[in-house]
Amino acid sequence: MSLGVLLVEDDRELRTTLREALMVEGYRVVASASLADARAVIAHALNEAGLDIVLLDLGLPDGDGDTLLAELRRARGTPVIVISARPGDDQKVRLLDAGADDYLVKPFSLAELLARMRVALRHRGTVVRPATTRYVRPGLVVDLEARRVHRENAEVHLTPTEYRLLSRLVRTAGQVVTHRQLLLDVWGFEYTEHTHYLRLYMAQLRAKLEAEPADPQMLLTEPGVGYRLAEPGE
Amino acid sequence: MFALDEHIDLANKALIMVLTAAVAAIWSGPWTSLLVSAAAVLAFNFAFVPPRGAFTVGLHQHALLLVAMLTVSWIVALLVARLRWHAAQATAHSLRSDQLRRLGEALRAADDPVSQASALQEVLASLGGTSTTLLLSGDHGDVAAGGETAVTVGSTTPDEAAGLRLCMKDGRAMGPGTGRHEEQPAWYLPLRGLQSTQGAAIVRHLAGATGRDGLLGHAQALCDQMGAALERAAALRAAAAANEQAQAHALRNTLLTAISHDHRTPLATILGAASALHDQGERLSPAQSRRLAATIVDEATQLSRLTDNTLQLARLGMVGLALQRDWESIEEMVGTVLRRVRQRDASNRVKARVEPGLPLLRCDAVLIVQLLDNLVDNALKYGGAIAPVDMVARRRDGEIAIAVRDRGPGVPPAMRERIFDTFQRGDQVVTQDDVDRRPRRGAGVGLALCRAIARVHGGELRLRPRSHGGTSFELALPVDELPDDTPREDGEGSVS
Repeated sequence: MSLGVLLVEDDRELRTTLREALMVEGYRVVASASLADARAVIAHALNEAGLDIVLLDLGLPDGDGDTLLAELRRARGTPVIVISARPGDDQKVRLLDAGADDYLVKPFSLAELLARMRVALRHRGTVVRPATTRYVRPGLVVDLEARRVHRENAEVHLTPTEYRLLSRLVRTAGQVVTHRQLLLDVWGFEYTEHTHYLRLYMAQLRAKLEAEPADPQMLLTEPGVGYRLAEPGE
Repeated sequence: MFALDEHIDLANKALIMVLTAAVAAIWSGPWTSLLVSAAAVLAFNFAFVPPRGAFTVGLHQHALLLVAMLTVSWIVALLVARLRWHAAQATAHSLRSDQLRRLGEALRAADDPVSQASALQEVLASLGGTSTTLLLSGDHGDVAAGGETAVTVGSTTPDEAAGLRLCMKDGRAMGPGTGRHEEQPAWYLPLRGLQSTQGAAIVRHLAGATGRDGLLGHAQALCDQMGAALERAAALRAAAAANEQAQAHALRNTLLTAISHDHRTPLATILGAASALHDQGERLSPAQSRRLAATIVDEATQLSRLTDNTLQLARLGMVGLALQRDWESIEEMVGTVLRRVRQRDASNRVKARVEPGLPLLRCDAVLIVQLLDNLVDNALKYGGAIAPVDMVARRRDGEIAIAVRDRGPGVPPAMRERIFDTFQRGDQVVTQDDVDRRPRRGAGVGLALCRAIARVHGGELRLRPRSHGGTSFELALPVDELPDDTPREDGEGSVS
């Protein structure tokens, strides 16, 4: 059975284009142009074929996307990808912190959207199953169960904080994690404004794990938002 | 004098008497001196001039002596009085010029002369008035309802308020000694500038203090000083407002030019390719269709970059813009740029070198990445089709210097500053490297934006020609002190 996508986007042209492109890719697409419309679709989808992923535009005619996200998060673990028009948008970061799975800045390519959707859908399964515990890429193996990190077949020694930071990223590999979320999970809630901690430890991790720290292939930066550990296949 | 009675004669006694009168004149006022010396001469006559004990004078020569004594005493008294009046006059003058000077300095030092209103009030009160109230024309850009924007400093009765307004309107003084409305109990003085009246002051004085010489003139001089300062400030404000408006206007024009020129070209290409696909769809070969679609994707990407740059430039030009500053790592920003460039340019000819141990920067990462991305994009476009492009970040003279270097044809000296102006680009030199001969474009807003980003961060962006050909764009950014709570972990022990 095909996967159900709810596309919430108020621009008619973009909505139509995305809808058709996603249908070509084999998704079952329901498009809505407003929050009220989207709410109706969600309520309906509960007893119908089901809803697997939501693409949520910010700044809809009848309100902001965050109210819908909150409702979705209360009801179920459906993945949400935020579509935003501006880079460095505060609201985008807020939605990610509130539980959105990923974000895309307009304009984006279809290939990018599909890739992000695949990542988000894969992680959907992790709500019930244990989170990713093994991250394997050519040249790097992170085994969270055995608490070991190998690079080019040699064990890498990490400090406890470095390890906590890496394991947090491994658990949601492929997805962007905001600065705030990382600081909260690794250092604690009183450190959520200490971005410089994060910078220093990311630099240390890159120095230990990346071949060229200035040109990272795994520990990727999302300027103004957070970090993303590249998908194993990326 | 009675003790000396036996030893000296009458003439000497008279001389002592005159001396005493002269000394007395130094301390007492002119009228007192005159009266006292007259009384003293009479008393001298009574006591010493024969016949003693009577006011009659026996000899003519004694009468002459008495008259001479009296005259000399009076002359001394008058001379002393005149001297004293001149000294007082000089003191008053120096006091007044001192007051004028001090008020002038205070007014020049203040950003807004209105804040010095209390200083003027104080000075005016010290002139013998009891209290003063100022009315200042409220020409501060905010036009309140009814146009009544003047501010009153101090309290007034309704009559006085009306008087102040009249005085400000006419620009002429009123009150005793001014020739207008002499019956008023107080002076109404206009605060006059060179061109206009900027307000008025009311000086209420103690009865009798009005007549003092030159006081009115002095008070008016003080008021005029305030008026001139207010007028100067109003002129400066007007000039600043006009300047701001002109700048906003210039920015708008620049953006309009950029949009109309730079955006039209890719739009035309997109429209051409898209309409070809739309209208001739079935007649095109699959390869042709793919090429047209690829053109649309390329041009749309270019257009998207242009739009980002134009919008960002407009945003940076806004007043009161708040940057999203945070502690950012140079390595990360450079890495992000590299990654973005790779997605557009597969040739893999952009290399980065980041000196180890660079400090974190307090900056807006989105903007700095946009800046570097634009520079690299420029270098790829103008630096030849195969030549390498280097990004080099290092510490230099307490600053961070990030250079983007190419091996292109370089920028002619005359253009080196001008290319940072909005909507300028290097001359379109077609070189051997420029294989596809595509008109190169897009630098119009790009470099202006780059420089604007550098400057809002307190840094600078410069162009330096390279010694063996090519151009180096160098971004210098200041380094801030990192908060002193940097985390430290002991040892590099393995995870356990």
